[in-house]
Amino acid sequence: MATATDNVDRGAATHPDVRSYTEVNTDILAMLSRPGKWWWILLGLSVAGIGLLAFSWGNQLINGIGLSGLNTPVGWGAYITTFVFWVGIAHSGTLISAILFLFRARWRQSIYRAAEAMTVFAVMTAGLYPLIHLGRAWHAYWLFPYANQRMLWPNFRSPLVWDVFAVTTYFTVSSLFFLLGLIPDIAAARDQSKPGTLRKTFYTLTSFGWRGTDRQWHHFGKAYLFLAALATPLVLSVHSVVSWDFAMSIVPGWHATIFAPYFVAGAIFSGVAMVITLMIPIRKIFGLEKYLTVRHFDAMAKLILVTGLIVFYAYLNEFFMAWYSGEDPERRVFWERLFGHYWWATWIMLICNGIVPIMLWFKRVRHSIAALFVLTIFVNIGMWFERYVIIVTSLSTEYIPFAWGVYRPSVTEMGIVVGTFGWFFFWFLLFIRLLPPVALAELKEVLPPPMRPKSKQEEVAR
Amino acid sequence: MSDGIKRRDFLKVLGVTGAGAGLVGCSTDKVNKLIPYVVPPEEITPGVATWYATACGECSAGCGVWVKTMEGRAVKLEGNPNHPVSGGALCARGHSALQGLYDPDRLKQPMRRSGDGFEPISWADAEALLASELGSAGAATLLLSGHTGPTLGELMDRVAEAVGGRRVAYEALSEAPLREAARIAFGRDEVPTFDFEAADLIVSFGADFLETWGSPVEQSRGFARSSGVSDDGSKARFVFLGSRLSLTGQNADEWYPIRPGSEGVVALALAGAVARRGGNAGPYSDLLAAYDVAGAAEAAGIPAGSLEELADHLAAASSPLVLGPGVAGQHRNATAANLAVLVLNAVSGAVGSTVRFAAPVSGIPSTPYADVAEAIGQMSGGAIRALVVHGTNPAYTLPTASGFVEAMGQVGFKVVITPGMNETAALADLVLPERHPLETWGDSSPRPGLWAIQQPAMRPVPHFESRGAGDMLLGVARALGADFGAETFHDYLRNRWSERHAAAGTPGASFSEFWREVLRTGVVEMGAPAASEPALQPPDRALAFDAPLLDGEADGLTLVVHPSSRFGDGRGANRTWLQELPDPVAKITWHSWVEMHPDTARERGFRKGEIVRVASPHGEVELPVWTYPGIRADTVAIAMGGGHENTGRWADGRGVNPMALLPAEAEQASGALVHLATRVTVEPTGRHRRLASIEGQSQTFDRPITPAVELGLIGELHGDDYGDYGQLREFQGMGGFVPVPTEGRPEDYPLEGARYGDYDPANNARWAMAIDLDKCTGCSACITACQSENNIAVVGEDQIMMGRDLHWIRLERYYETVDAAQPGPVDIRFLPMLCQHCGNAPCEPVCPVYAAYHTPDGLNGQIYNRCVGTRYCANNCPYKVRVFNWYGYSDVPEPLNWQYNPDVTVRAEGVMEKCSFCVQRIRGAENRATAERRDLREGEVVPACQQSCPAEAIVFGNIRDPESRVAQVSQNDRTYRVLDVLINTQPAVNYLRKVTFHPVKDIHV
Repeated sequence: MATATDNVDRGAATHPDVRSYTEVNTDILAMLSRPGKWWWILLGLSVAGIGLLAFSWGNQLINGIGLSGLNTPVGWGAYITTFVFWVGIAHSGTLISAILFLFRARWRQSIYRAAEAMTVFAVMTAGLYPLIHLGRAWHAYWLFPYANQRMLWPNFRSPLVWDVFAVTTYFTVSSLFFLLGLIPDIAAARDQSKPGTLRKTFYTLTSFGWRGTDRQWHHFGKAYLFLAALATPLVLSVHSVVSWDFAMSIVPGWHATIFAPYFVAGAIFSGVAMVITLMIPIRKIFGLEKYLTVRHFDAMAKLILVTGLIVFYAYLNEFFMAWYSGEDPERRVFWERLFGHYWWATWIMLICNGIVPIMLWFKRVRHSIAALFVLTIFVNIGMWFERYVIIVTSLSTEYIPFAWGVYRPSVTEMGIVVGTFGWFFFWFLLFIRLLPPVALAELKEVLPPPMRPKSKQEEVAR
Repeated sequence: MSDGIKRRDFLKVLGVTGAGAGLVGCSTDKVNKLIPYVVPPEEITPGVATWYATACGECSAGCGVWVKTMEGRAVKLEGNPNHPVSGGALCARGHSALQGLYDPDRLKQPMRRSGDGFEPISWADAEALLASELGSAGAATLLLSGHTGPTLGELMDRVAEAVGGRRVAYEALSEAPLREAARIAFGRDEVPTFDFEAADLIVSFGADFLETWGSPVEQSRGFARSSGVSDDGSKARFVFLGSRLSLTGQNADEWYPIRPGSEGVVALALAGAVARRGGNAGPYSDLLAAYDVAGAAEAAGIPAGSLEELADHLAAASSPLVLGPGVAGQHRNATAANLAVLVLNAVSGAVGSTVRFAAPVSGIPSTPYADVAEAIGQMSGGAIRALVVHGTNPAYTLPTASGFVEAMGQVGFKVVITPGMNETAALADLVLPERHPLETWGDSSPRPGLWAIQQPAMRPVPHFESRGAGDMLLGVARALGADFGAETFHDYLRNRWSERHAAAGTPGASFSEFWREVLRTGVVEMGAPAASEPALQPPDRALAFDAPLLDGEADGLTLVVHPSSRFGDGRGANRTWLQELPDPVAKITWHSWVEMHPDTARERGFRKGEIVRVASPHGEVELPVWTYPGIRADTVAIAMGGGHENTGRWADGRGVNPMALLPAEAEQASGALVHLATRVTVEPTGRHRRLASIEGQSQTFDRPITPAVELGLIGELHGDDYGDYGQLREFQGMGGFVPVPTEGRPEDYPLEGARYGDYDPANNARWAMAIDLDKCTGCSACITACQSENNIAVVGEDQIMMGRDLHWIRLERYYETVDAAQPGPVDIRFLPMLCQHCGNAPCEPVCPVYAAYHTPDGLNGQIYNRCVGTRYCANNCPYKVRVFNWYGYSDVPEPLNWQYNPDVTVRAEGVMEKCSFCVQRIRGAENRATAERRDLREGEVVPACQQSCPAEAIVFGNIRDPESRVAQVSQNDRTYRVLDVLINTQPAVNYLRKVTFHPVKDIHV
């Protein structure tokens, strides 16, 4: 257990420019009251994205899944790619809030709230895709084990059913964790909002009568700790299960034991990159430089570096194992990845995820906000293509060469993929305007407590 | 009501809303008035099929067929097993007759010209008009007919005679050169019968006998029986000489890529070489002396030594069979080339053994092009005042240069009798909707002594006011005062058959008994002429055997125009099953292509799919390039059958008609239209298209997919040879991964630990299939049979381009050895790929809702209405046999939906489907057995593909029964299972390796 002195020292080191608790409240809660021009523009774009999503998906529901570019060898494409992409993004939130909480990594305080929100919204986005990609989306509930008189159950051997459980569990736990952590901060927002406003009512309801008593803090601390402990294994399990959608099959290029750790590392890699991509503009727009310091970004960059190296190792390992297997189907899939029809996607993946993050070995890069912003966008793109490469190249060149085929995403698929970004950012933008995007209470924990100077001499000495 | 809702009111409201919800929930969109059979017809039991024997009218082969009808509607055609031609099998074109019957583009009523278009008129007016016009035209009447049954042809002649005019029969695919050659060589004006089954060496000079030449179904069967390796290890060698490997050529063991037009010279040189080895050339000895092997090899563009080798084979063969150039090889010296081939047959001793002539019989031979050219001359000269066209489409099948279209414009009154609109009908003054062969009476006679009665399988489709051609002609005759003693064509046919019956010495008992029996069996065999062995006669006319002159620039590419194995001369083009059937050679659907050797394409900078302009001195067409290693570098080929106008919604504007490139020229000796006549230039257009092809990669990369075995090595397979896995074994020596061999026999599948569902091997059959790849010819009849039986929807050209082919069988074609530069072995392997019904199926565990599951009798079931469409099963299927309904493909215009088999679910949008091993037939047979309180008999369940296979390559049954044919066939050294060695799927489909004469790589399977 860290001592109070530790807290003081570390807090001082993390946020040297933050002077007092009041300042925290003022700065952070100010975010909730200033809808700048950029916020409205971004919200407008997001709503347009949702419109595109609704139109494309509605069109697909009415006219058929044939509006996608999918075909007989390639039954999964951009939809499942983007599903895995968003599930991956969803990983860093819980990693930062739960695992780093348990490990007492103090630099997490100012970023974890946004990361958690991102997690919840990313799962909400990812969760759309299994519905979108179904041939008969209106029967999606058949995947749930609900009571029915014909005693029909889902097939518990199918990784897709595991997926249903993994993703819904993850969504439940991460939402609970997110909402629980919010309670003290919403109470702070409640206390600062004008009486009689809608905002006041909203905060009053959602702060569940929080008054900051010792007893409440005691229960809150316990609950938070237990939920963190509950959420931690999920960080590893969800993406492992998602990876088993592929690894449990016999498709060359999917059927590999390395998939679970490889996917978890990739998920953290992409999730942390997405956190950085999101936090940099927020920091700039809301002037949060003193809360989100270079130290935070440095720590996250190191996380990207580590997971990026694991991912790159996994890529090389896959190529080696394909060669070592001695089987032509396995070897040829990887050969086709590098030099076949989808060579460009593979090289985007290798460069964005393997080569570009190597630059993070340099402290100057880790400490340059601009460089990090560009670099994490590369990682985001690279990680989308990683899933695209795994899914599409493997399916297009399977065991029977005469049945090989090529897949090209259709306009509808692109509309839906772009539209879900609108869906995600819509929620995220609402979040930073409605709920405290930086954890007030926890941030205060790491700040030096406001103590009266013991004597005049001391103050002078200071 | 002051104190809230009373109990009664509550119940009222509940009752009304509940009933309302029930009504809404249960109603279909529209409630139609349903009238059950008040007095049910005796022969119809709802849900139980009634079968009628009749004859297929799709080509001149005249296969006997059975038509399955359900509740009075024809739903499926099958070969009549009693009929010696079909032998129970049927080709893709035969199956598609059903779509001809229900073609929504059939004419709804008679039509009369009105300005540029047509107006409907009544049948009474139409017939009155026809009779009066023919009556006034009198001797200036011309009847142009296509292939007809003997009795209808006879009636046509009598009607033409009664009117005072004459009849010209014209078939686009003519055998005239062969017939004329037979007359010159043996004095027999007939097409000989070829016995493929008895042959031990088959040499084809480009005759496509598995596709369009002669009687494809019968020939495929004979070929598969001789060319498929037998239990004693004998196998007929097949040598193909031609400029392009057709599907027939792809089945060859050796290919001599000779220059187009050099067939005659090569055949004579071979005949000379065989004669020197002891053959008797009779009166042709002097002629043969003039053709030496070296000169012929020079003319053919191949080394002389290879021809000597072929001559050795011919001399050594005990019953060789040599086949003359087919339609694609009909050049300006075609009769000479056919004569040369007949001489080669005679010298090799084939005549009388594998090439047989019967005594000449009366019959109306199809008149060659020369007669049509003469008729065209008369038409444009104004000598013809009334033209009746029936069963042929000259405006499409004749070269544009023939001037038929213009000449037809000169005729005062043009009548076309046809089921649906076509290019010729569009030019007519009166179009009369004819009944489809499945709705009318008739007969067919594929060869002397063999007949089939064509009886209507159902009442005419009510959407069309149609009449039989025979009835129409009888009506005309009656109106003109001629009496043939029959009201209807049915009566006429019966009368005529009563005469034939009497003339044949009344086989059986009374005529009515005979007639009933004939209608039941569908076959009449009587009055077969005795076979005779004619001797060679000296030629009675001068013939040039040399390579023919070709039009066009000397440096151009030689153009081969060949009949399509899907459309023949183009008549089936409005049938979606045929349009969507991948061409057996190119695997392309829906559009035309020009075949070009990859080297030629590379030289000229063409990519696959590039649209080029092919121009001859007679015309030009634009179509995409398909690169094909099986064609000579100096040759390009285009199939007939595309480029229709005014034919129907699915045919119009698809592909091109290569007849536009040909001259309108008759071959001198026989009068047949010249097909191989011109060189063409090929220019880029700068445009490109995606081919609507199902072909992925045509190499196996030595995967355990289509291994073959050299003839002498059968029995020495399955050694300890791991082939390419040697490298892996080195690693194993160092402690690496050791693959677990798949143990067990196919009848033991699924093995312990691989069981799904309620599979119970103790009390159930294990349904399995054996496919002999040494017999499979890749003809694709199984695909259409399966489509017809299982209601497989047609997806259309754009969907095929996206890779959304819905067929349950994919006929894979892999090139192993193909060399168009010199003679040598050719090895192209076919693999009909269908659901393997794995014992250890990868598709089953991944389905989240149990839509893919294992039935208690070991089938790999697919429950359509449980499927939610995750497509995981298709991803995980290593054989890629699962296909998905991306859209609701099954909605087709009325009455085409009548083609659907009521025993099989019509699939909706968003569900997966695949081969079910015709589970409806298995269940049907089981139900029959249960009703009759007996066990299922071996051979009782025959899936549609096996039923239809002309090569008899497919066997189906319970492999757990050691007496079953499938178990016995699978007990073969050649048996293997695709990919099983790699992924332990334990499939139920056992393939038997192809057998080659040349050494092949042994793939570990």
